[in-house]
Amino acid sequence: MTHQPLTVCGSKNIYLDHNATTPVSKSVIENVPNWLEAWGNPSSIHWNGRQPKAILRESRKKISALLKASSPLELIFTSGGSEANNLALWGSVLKIQSFFPERTELITSVVEHPSVLKTMEAIAKYKNMTLHKISVNQNGEIDLDDYFGKLNEKTALVSIMSANNETGSLFPIKKMVRKAHEVGAIFHTDAVQALGKIAVDVKTWGVDMASFSAHKFYALKGCGVLYVKQGTALESQIFGGGQERGRRAGTENILAIAAFAKMSDCQEDIANYTMQMAELRDFMETQILNVIPDIEVVGGQGKRLPNTSSLIIKNVNGESLLINLDMQGVSVSTGAACSAGNPEPSPVLIAMGYSRQQAQSSLRLSIGWTTTKEEILKFVNILKEVVIHLRNLEAEEKSWKNQES
Amino acid sequence: MEKPRVLVAMSGGVDSSVAAALLVEQGYEVIGCTMQVWDYSKDSSCEIVEGNGTCCSSIDVDDARAVADHLGIPFYVINCEEPFEHFVIKDFINSYLEGRTPIPCVHCNTFLKFDHLLKKMKELRCDYLATGHYAESQEISDSRWGLITSEDSWKDQTYFLFTLQTEILPKLIFPVGKMEKPKVRQLAEEMGLPVAKKRDSTGICFIGNKGYKNFLEENVPKEKFKPGLLKRWDSGETLGEHSGIHNFTYGQRKGLGISSEKPLYVVKVDPMTCEVWLGEEEELYSTELEVDNVNWLDEFNDDEKLRVKVRFAHQGAQANILKTEIEGRYKIVFDEKQRAITPGQAAVVYRDRQLIGGGWIL
Repeated sequence: MTHQPLTVCGSKNIYLDHNATTPVSKSVIENVPNWLEAWGNPSSIHWNGRQPKAILRESRKKISALLKASSPLELIFTSGGSEANNLALWGSVLKIQSFFPERTELITSVVEHPSVLKTMEAIAKYKNMTLHKISVNQNGEIDLDDYFGKLNEKTALVSIMSANNETGSLFPIKKMVRKAHEVGAIFHTDAVQALGKIAVDVKTWGVDMASFSAHKFYALKGCGVLYVKQGTALESQIFGGGQERGRRAGTENILAIAAFAKMSDCQEDIANYTMQMAELRDFMETQILNVIPDIEVVGGQGKRLPNTSSLIIKNVNGESLLINLDMQGVSVSTGAACSAGNPEPSPVLIAMGYSRQQAQSSLRLSIGWTTTKEEILKFVNILKEVVIHLRNLEAEEKSWKNQES
Repeated sequence: MEKPRVLVAMSGGVDSSVAAALLVEQGYEVIGCTMQVWDYSKDSSCEIVEGNGTCCSSIDVDDARAVADHLGIPFYVINCEEPFEHFVIKDFINSYLEGRTPIPCVHCNTFLKFDHLLKKMKELRCDYLATGHYAESQEISDSRWGLITSEDSWKDQTYFLFTLQTEILPKLIFPVGKMEKPKVRQLAEEMGLPVAKKRDSTGICFIGNKGYKNFLEENVPKEKFKPGLLKRWDSGETLGEHSGIHNFTYGQRKGLGISSEKPLYVVKVDPMTCEVWLGEEEELYSTELEVDNVNWLDEFNDDEKLRVKVRFAHQGAQANILKTEIEGRYKIVFDEKQRAITPGQAAVVYRDRQLIGGGWIL
């Protein structure tokens, strides 16, 4: 491997939940004191404003290059991915409605992150628009025929994610963008899960808007980016001072922005990481399928992120599995980590046609740049042992119930 | 040797918090959990009141988590919404619609705490399950286990535990079961638990302060309510109309919507005709009742005088328990008349301080 391996903050647990958040890179932590020195307000005219302003400018340039934007001015810094999604959807719909009131339809997919799905639902409700949710098949692939059929001259906005957070399924964004543009619709993609895992190139994708998050990219929480292609109209959602060229008010989070930009230094390494993670993920799945029976890899036949593995483990309760793994020092998730530690069965798996019971037996593994083969081997052993334990109890319970009845 | 591992059900209240703390002190490996039973975001009338539990239970979850952090133990939220809705909420609603006055806490104990959580206990490889109940689980004689009432007769919660199976008793720990409430609160303060000053929760956890009628109106389609006539016992004179039998419980005097010279009470709710019968206080008294779906934790004889409670707040009264011809159904005959024996409540039987069992009043 040619690239300098990343070093990150330590963890007591084997961490296999990189789609929730990534550990912070040591290169970020080392620089935090320097960035904190630049405590001035970047909007200030005086000396104290100069250094933070410079950090902001340089960061924007670096991140713009990372995302392959045409200009740093196409980036709006936000508080994170959820805000970027909200800004993209509300901000563009308000503009479209004022220019093209006849465009009253919205398109999204059934497997979007809640920050897109719930926002789209709210817009449809409050702006009296029609929302089409495109379904996916059991392999996680989006129903393109349905999508093409729903696109028409009345479509105002499409928002389809680049990669799904739970199954890792990749959607054919380029193709979908082209079709949307043919009918004059605006196309936004939630690319939060793509960054750092696959090649990101907003220009080639052709999207009008794309959302990104720094804390899924080994930087800090509290910083997201909305890419808005030049010429795309967007109404601000947070009004106030004129920051971000009047499109997002509020004093900039210099520390988190600088950290995001610092991680852009790894740009050249991402292709290597993609290969490395894919190899390791495939190795992990092979190992698991070899030693534990009755496991299904969700979306395994379709195109997937290189780091994500979504499993349905028959006759095992996902909640108990997760807690057992945690107690044995492995961090995984059963779905998205959003809902305050409350493990409801994954709506994504339900949308893919799995039963509630299957969805309750799911496990999401997402590896990262620093995951090692040793960790995977250790994890597979622990998983095997826990699954046997839980399945034995399940079998005991069943035979006990049979005896009773 | 490894420390025995305990799963402790933490509600975010003082009792279960102290229970968890005591287990840590006693050297167990303790794992805390809270049952997420009801999606409170559905409740429109839910108001957040600082220092007040039961409503907006995510605050209670936060409190339980804060206590677990304080004790340095792992803490997990166990999703129980499905079984809770199925076993507790549905029965609660149906009881009122059928003219009975339910006790959801018993079903929660039967199907959630001492079944679902017991299963979790095994799945998480714990040796014991602990709760903050005021009750004692004891080995009464060679490997026969029983439940004994708490020292604090005011707080004693064995009434809600009459459905427990004796086989599981050796697996249960009630760390505050031997204590009196003031002592528990004092311990909470001494141990610096973040919930030490929290008010006691009273009433039903998913109802809170808004009252059960509001809960029913929010969660039951209107057409399911059964309006009917108010009738005078036993003349049959029609006194008025009512908007649904769910608004009435035996012995109720207030909110009847009629005026009369003598105070009138609900003496009978008939789910078939939807009639609510009102009568004078003496009509509320009777010496016998029948129960079904009984569960016995110990044996007894027909001629043995036992103490029977017909509601949680009842002192208990002497009675004989007689088998009937119907399987699982018993007749309870009191020495003296008892007031407002209410269908849907439980009749729970004791021999001194030992819980013998009980059944559901018909």
